[in-house]
Formats: sequence, C-alpha cells, structure tokens
Amino acid sequence: MGLKQYLKNIWEAVYTIALGMKITARYGIDPSEEITQQYPEEKRQPAERFRGFLHNDVPRCIACTMCAKTCPVDCIEIEFVTGEDKKRKLTRFDINIGRCMYCGLCVEVCPTKCLTHTDGYEKASLSRGELILHFVEPASAEEEEAQEKEAEPEPAPAGAAPAENPSGKEPEGTGGEN
Amino acid sequence: MDSAVAFLTSKIPFLASLPFWVVAFLVMLVVALVILGFALTYEGIATYIERKVAADIQVRIGPNRVGPNGWFQFIADGVKLLMKEDLIPAKADKFLFVLAPYLVFVGSFAAFVVVPFGISLIAADLNIGVYYVMAVTSLVVIGILLAGWGSNNKWALLGGMRAAAQIVSYEVPVGMALLPAVILAGSLSLQEIIRSQGGYLGIFGWNIFHNPFTFFSFFLYFTAALAETNRTPFDIPEAESELVAGYHVEYSGIRFAFFFMAEYGDMFVVCALAAALYLGGWQVPFVDVSGLSPLLANLLSLGVFLAKVIALILVMMWVRWTLPRLRVDQLMRMSWKYLVPLTFVNVLGVSVWVLAFDGKGIPALVMSLLGR
Repeated sequence: MGLKQYLKNIWEAVYTIALGMKITARYGIDPSEEITQQYPEEKRQPAERFRGFLHNDVPRCIACTMCAKTCPVDCIEIEFVTGEDKKRKLTRFDINIGRCMYCGLCVEVCPTKCLTHTDGYEKASLSRGELILHFVEPASAEEEEAQEKEAEPEPAPAGAAPAENPSGKEPEGTGGEN
Repeated sequence: MDSAVAFLTSKIPFLASLPFWVVAFLVMLVVALVILGFALTYEGIATYIERKVAADIQVRIGPNRVGPNGWFQFIADGVKLLMKEDLIPAKADKFLFVLAPYLVFVGSFAAFVVVPFGISLIAADLNIGVYYVMAVTSLVVIGILLAGWGSNNKWALLGGMRAAAQIVSYEVPVGMALLPAVILAGSLSLQEIIRSQGGYLGIFGWNIFHNPFTFFSFFLYFTAALAETNRTPFDIPEAESELVAGYHVEYSGIRFAFFFMAEYGDMFVVCALAAALYLGGWQVPFVDVSGLSPLLANLLSLGVFLAKVIALILVMMWVRWTLPRLRVDQLMRMSWKYLVPLTFVNVLGVSVWVLAFDGKGIPALVMSLLGR
C-alpha cells in the first residue's frame, strides 16, 4: 500500500462518513417526517374490501345455513325454528371469531347478502368464550328453551335437538351442528 | 481539599473542634455524593435523549408514554431494572461475576473526579489530571474482562476478549491524541490546560484552532475515544448480531444497569476531556470569567462547559445511529495503521510548531501581524 493509496483511504473514510451523517441529520432534524401512528389514539382506516369481523343482519337472514355449510373451519353455528308461514326464524346465530380464518366464503355464498365483513379487527379478550359473537340474543333463546321445558315436563333425551317446538311439530332442521 | 477544610472550619466553629481527618472525610463524602447524584441524573437523561435521537433519525417518535413527552421514561426503566430478578448462572464464577459490574462502574465514575465543570467547580484539580483519567478508565477493561470470564458463557468470553483487545489498542491513539494539548499548555492539570485557552482571542484561543495539527488531533481523539467507550461503530465487544450482548449477556437487573450507566458515564468523561483539552472547557468566548463575581462566574462557566459536552455527546449519538459496525480486523487496522501513525505525526508536528513559533498559534500570529 503506497502513500497515495493510504491517504486516499483516509479521504474516502472521512468523505463517506460525512455523507452518511448528512443523511441522518436531515431525517433527525426534520420532525415532519415522523411516520409513526399513535395507534390507540389514531387508527388507520382499513381498505374498502378489508375482511374484518363478520356481521349478520338478523332481520334479513333467512336461516338458509349456507354460510355454516360452506365454512371450512366450522365457526358458524345456526339454530332456527320454522314458523307457521314456513319462514325460518333464527334462535341462535353464533360466529366463533377466534376460529374464523377470514376467507370470506360465507359472505360470498350468502343469498341475501346479510352476512358481511365489517372493518373491525380489535378483539382482545380475557377468555376464549368472549370471542364467540352472538347475533341472536342468547338470553331470549334460553327463555324460549325454559318455556319449552315447562310446557314439556319430560326431559329431552340426550343427543336430541335442544330446541323443540312446543306445538308438537317436528323441528324442521337444526343447522350447524358442527 | 486543604483549602476547603480550612474554609469550613473557619466558618463553622463546631467543625474546628473535630480532628482534621474527620472534616476532610466529610468534605470528600459530600463532594462524592454530589458528583454521584450528577452522574446518575445525567445518565438517566442521556438514555432518554439517546432514544429520542435514535427515533428522530429513524423517522419515529420515540418514548412518549411515561410523563409529559416521555420525560420520566428513564425513571420507569430504572425502577424496572431494580425490580428484576438478580440472576447468577449456576456455573459462573460467582465472585468475579458479582465484582465485575462494580469495577466497570467505578472505572467510569472515578474519572468524574477530575472533570472541570466550572472555573472552581472541580472535585480534585490533580496536577496529573489527564494522566489520571487515562489510568482510571483503563480499569474498565479489567471489569469487562472479568464479566466475560466470570459468566461462563462463550459469547460473554468472546465479548470480553474483544473488549480487552479493542480498549488496549485504542489506549495508544487516545493518549497520543491528548498529548498536543498537554504540550501546548505545558501541564497535565485540566484546569491549567483550560486556563491556557482563554484570552482576547475568544473561540480562536481554543486549542483546536491553534494550528493544523491540533485541529486534526481533536478529530483523531474523538474517533479513538468513541472506540474506547465501546459504542457503535466500535461496539464489537457487545455486537448484538454476532455475540447476542457480548460481555453482559448473562447480567440482569441492577448489575446490568451498572454496565449501562458505565457506558454513559464513559461517554461523558470522554466528551468532557475533548471539550476541556481542545474546545476551551469552561472558557466563555470573549468574556473573562475570572473577573466576575464567584457565583456568576461558576454558573456561567458550568453552563458553557455542559453545553459543549452535551453537544459532543449528541454528535456521538448521531454517529452511533448512522454508521454500521466495523469488523474486528477492520477495527485493529484502523487503530494500528491509521490512528497511531497519524497521532504520532501530530505530536511531532505540534512539538516542532511550538519550537518554531514560540508556542503561538495561527490566530495569535495573525493578530500580531495585524499589530496587537
């Protein structure tokens, strides 16, 4: 290594360090370039077609159970009763959002488009039970069950469908028995 | 020390009845506590500032949760470190493992004793001040080596060995880069060196502007000192991507905090030395501090000195978040092939300059040409 190369090395070291420090100084001094988002206070709006939590618009739901049948991970549970006018009425519509993999197949298959993705994505909870979304009030369903049991004193045999029609009709079908 | 004791005994009659060594010990204790308090506060705030500087450079915001704008982050960190479990590995050499953090901390803290904070704010104005700092900061190497050996961990041992090799190599250019200032002042006492940089020249009285050799000496010293503090780009002893955390990989809680504080203490000492030797220390430009009242003079000189030191520390942080780490062989090459020869040339150059121009720097020569 000659003297020329030696001095050139020193010059190169000094020059490149100065160049790098100029760049970091530019970023360091300019506060408007901070790109951090203060998450809990300010949130980013998800994209238009973002697949967030599922939501079922219960009045429009016809309880066809297509969503429960197409779900690859079986996270939707549906129970219903068939009324006098042959219209199905939901007694239970639960989505286990902890098991859901957000594939969107249920939304695609829904004939009335009542099952949709929302833009929600925050669901921290202390137990797994809190991750099950109940779209039909479970309290009212239990009340119905209690009324049914009162009307029919004989306890239902194990394995039978939990919701039996008090009018003696055969239950048309219970969806989502997983 | 003697003058302080004499002053106290003349002011407070009760102390005069005590033997000399008791009063002397009390004075030492108080001074040590004041410096310790200053060092710990500075180290806490420096960690906060370092994180903010890093965040600014990386286009982030940085700590902002604890207190207004995150100002109490360092207190939260300190509490966390104190509460952590104190782990000692089963196969570690327990005595050395426990001893090492204290040696490292003492090494960096003891150097605070001769830091000239103000015109008369200095714990001990030793007549071998520069030499003392060099000697005491070398104690850090022993602590790091013990930490590496005592941990019984391959990463720690490698880190300790690297640290020893690095600090011993860089001790040479650091010492040689300090010599020009010592030659110019003709003294090893930090206060003497600072006093020699005052006068009517203002900032051009500083040693860095004395002649071209001292100008380069300052940058050579700063580079070599950066390596002595084990900070990026010279942090191969703790190289995170190679050695996990190097010599302190097995340390947790308050023992780790000692290493951490020692690093920031080292930074302060190194920057204080650079400021005192080349940037005029507590000399306020164009103001003769010694002519003012003692309180005002001390406050002014303290402020100016701290401003200079903090500016240098910010440059250190800036360098840290800019440059990547050197390899071990690159590090050694830089010390032995570049820094050592250049510092020797500088010492020679300054010596010849002092002989040739009777100790006058370029600014003084220019002023004499202009007729002053």
